[in-house]
Amino acid sequence: MLLTDSEIGYFRQLAGGAVITMELAVSGYLLALASGTVVGLLTLSRNRLIQAVWRVYASIIMGVPSLLVIFLFYYGGSSMLEGVIDITPFAAGLSALVVVYTVYVAELVRGAIRNVPRGQFEASAALAIRPMSAWWHVIMPQAVRLALAGLITVWMVVLKDTALVSLAGLNDLVAHAKTAAGASKEPFIFFVTAALFFVVFSAATLRVSARLERRFGRGLAVVKA
Amino acid sequence: MLFDPALAWAILPRMLYGMLNTVTITALVLVLGLAVSLPITLARMSPRPMFNLPAAAFVMFFRGTPALILLYLVYYGLAQLPSVHDGPLWLIFANAYACAVIGLTLNHASYLVEILRGGLDAVPAGLTEASAALGISPRQTFTWIRFPLAMRYALKAYQNEVLMFTKGTAIVGVITVVDLTAAANEVFERTYDPVTPMLGAAVLYWVLVNLMRIRFEALDRSLNRHLIADERRLRKPVVGASQGALARWTSLPAGPTEHAGTEQAR
Amino acid sequence: MSGGAPNPAIAIAGLDKWYGGFQALKQINLEVHRGEKIVVCGPSGSGKSTLIRCINRLEPHDGGRIVVNGIDVNNATSNIQDVRREVGMVFQSFNLFPHLTILENCMLAPRLSLGMKKREASRVAQRYLDRVHIGEQALKFPAQLSGGQQQRVAIARALCMEPRIMLFDEPTSSLDPEMIKEVLEVMEELASDGMTMICVTHEMGFARRVASRCVFMDQGQIVEIADAATFFEAPRSDRLRGFLSQILR
Repeated sequence: MLLTDSEIGYFRQLAGGAVITMELAVSGYLLALASGTVVGLLTLSRNRLIQAVWRVYASIIMGVPSLLVIFLFYYGGSSMLEGVIDITPFAAGLSALVVVYTVYVAELVRGAIRNVPRGQFEASAALAIRPMSAWWHVIMPQAVRLALAGLITVWMVVLKDTALVSLAGLNDLVAHAKTAAGASKEPFIFFVTAALFFVVFSAATLRVSARLERRFGRGLAVVKA
Repeated sequence: MLFDPALAWAILPRMLYGMLNTVTITALVLVLGLAVSLPITLARMSPRPMFNLPAAAFVMFFRGTPALILLYLVYYGLAQLPSVHDGPLWLIFANAYACAVIGLTLNHASYLVEILRGGLDAVPAGLTEASAALGISPRQTFTWIRFPLAMRYALKAYQNEVLMFTKGTAIVGVITVVDLTAAANEVFERTYDPVTPMLGAAVLYWVLVNLMRIRFEALDRSLNRHLIADERRLRKPVVGASQGALARWTSLPAGPTEHAGTEQAR
Repeated sequence: MSGGAPNPAIAIAGLDKWYGGFQALKQINLEVHRGEKIVVCGPSGSGKSTLIRCINRLEPHDGGRIVVNGIDVNNATSNIQDVRREVGMVFQSFNLFPHLTILENCMLAPRLSLGMKKREASRVAQRYLDRVHIGEQALKFPAQLSGGQQQRVAIARALCMEPRIMLFDEPTSSLDPEMIKEVLEVMEELASDGMTMICVTHEMGFARRVASRCVFMDQGQIVEIADAATFFEAPRSDRLRGFLSQILR
C-alpha cells in the first residue's frame, strides 16, 4: 500500500505534533517530580496546620478530573489575566499537569520515606552520621527504591494525559491526528498511528523501569531468601 | 471573573443532568470492565502462548493508549470500516453513548487485568496446596480460596483505578455525550464565564469521587477485619516498630507490592 | 553501689525520662568504669532499652545528668556528635542499611563522620569484619546473610568508628537459637579485649561469664546492682528472685 502525497503530509504533521506531545510530557513530568519531591518532604512535618492544609489541598486536586483542571487553567486563566499575559494552551496544560501530578508525586515521596524503617534513622544517629548525610546516603536511596514503581506509573499517566491538552487547543499529536482523520476521511489509520505512538512509549518505559528497579533494588532483590 | 453563585444555582439542573450521565457511564464501565477483564486475566495467566500472547497484546494496547484516542477510534475510526458501518453492529457504534462506554471499558479492563493478576499472584501457594490436600477441586479452590483472597489483596489498587477512570470519564464530551464536564463547557460557551461552571463541576466531581472512596474504605474494612485480629497474634511486638506495622499491614495491598517483603529485609 | 573512681566512662546521676504522662526512668544513678562490662536485665517495659538509648541520646532525657567520657550529654549538637563517636550501638533488629553492601555498611560512618578516605575506610572495615569472622562476606548485601551474620556485621559496623564504649540493646532477641551463640562469642571476644560494654540481654550464661556487674531494672528503677556471682546466687530483692526464677527455669 503506497501513501499519497497528502497522506505523507499528514504524517509529517503528526510527527511535529508528537514532538510537542513529548515536550509537554517530559517538561511536565520533570517539573512535577521536582516540586512533588519538595512538597513531599515539607509534608513530612508534624505541624498540624501543614498537615491539615495539605490533606484538604490533596483531596481537592485528587478529586477532580485533570481535564477540568486544564480547562480551568486555560479558559479561567485567560479570562482572569486578559490583557496581562496571553495564556497559550501549552502553558495552561503544562501548569495544570504540574499542579495535579505534584500532588501524586508528593504523596508517593512522603509514603516512601514514612516506610523506611525507623531503625535506619536510629542506626545512622548512633553511628554519629549527621542528619543531612543520613538523609542523603541512607534514607533517600531506600525511599527512591520504594517510590520508584509509583513514580514510573506517574510518568505513564502524565504522558497519556498530555492528550487532554489537545482539547484546550494544543496542536499536539492527538490534535493533528484528529485533523488528519477529519480531512482525509480515513480516521482509522491516523488514530491507530497516534495510539501506537503512546503504546510504544509505554512499552519502552516498562523496559527501562525494569532495569531501573534492578539497579535501585540492589541488596533488596534477594529479600525472599 | 470570579465564581457567580446566582449563575451556579441557575445551571445546577443542567449540571446534575450531566452528572447523571457521568454516573451511569461509570457504573456501566465498572460492571462491564469486571466482566471483560476476568476471562482476559485467566488467558493472561495461562501458560499457553495461544492464550497469553493475545491477552498481553490487549493489555499493552489498551493500557498504553490514552482513553481520548480510544474514544476517537471507536466513534470515528470504526465507522470507517465497512464491516462495522454496514453490519448489525452499527446499531451500537452509531450511538455516542455506547461508544463512550465501549472505549472506556476497554481501557479500564486492561488496567483491571494487571490488578487482578497481581492479586492472584500474591495468594500464597501454600493456601492452594492446603486446599488441594483437603480434596477441594481446582475450580472450587479458585472460586472459594484464591479469587476472594486476590480481591482483598488487590482492593486498594482497584480502588485507585476506579477513582482514576471515574475522573477519566470527563472526556466523553468529545464524542457528543453530555456528561458533567460537557455540561460545564456548554454553560461556558453560552455565558463566557468559565470559572463558575467549571468550579461547580469540580465540586460535583469531588463529591462523587469522595463518596466512592468512602464506600471503598468501608468495603476494605469489612473485608480485612481478620487481619486486624491476626496482627496481635502473629506479629511479635517489636518495640518502636509496632505502631507503624499495623498501619502498613492494613493499608498496603499485601500482595501485589513488594514493599511488604522489603520491610522484613533489614 | 560501687564507684568513686575518678573519671568514669559513663556517669549517670538522677536520670528521669517521661513519655507523656508515663515515667519510663525514675532517678537512675549508675557509674560505669573503663573496661567494665555491665549486663542490664529486667522484665519488658522496665526501661532497660530506654536507659541505654539515653546514653547516646537516641532518646533525650528529662532530668538528671549523663556524662560520657567527660562529655555532658545535652542538647548541644556538637556534644551529641562527640558522644556518638565515642559510643557504638548494636540494635535488636540489626538495622543494617539494606541498600549497601556489608563493606559499604561498615565504611559509611567512618567516611561521613570521621572524614576518612575511601581506601582507609575500606581497610578499617575489612579489619573489623575479619575480627567478627565475616570478612569473606564483605561484598554481599545484608539480605543475603543470616540473622546471626547480620548482627555480627552490625557489631563490626559499630567498631569501625573505634568507639571506647559499646551499647548492646537485646542483640540476640530476634535471632534463632542456633545463631545466638555466634553473636555471643563475638561479644565475649570484644569483652576480653577490654571494651567497656553495657548489654541489655536475657542471656544469663553470657552474664555469668562476662559481666563485671549485673543491673536489675523494674518499673523504671534500678532495683539491684551486684557482681555476677552475688546477683545470681544471692539476690537480695524479691523482685529479682522472682524474675530469675522465671527466666532460669
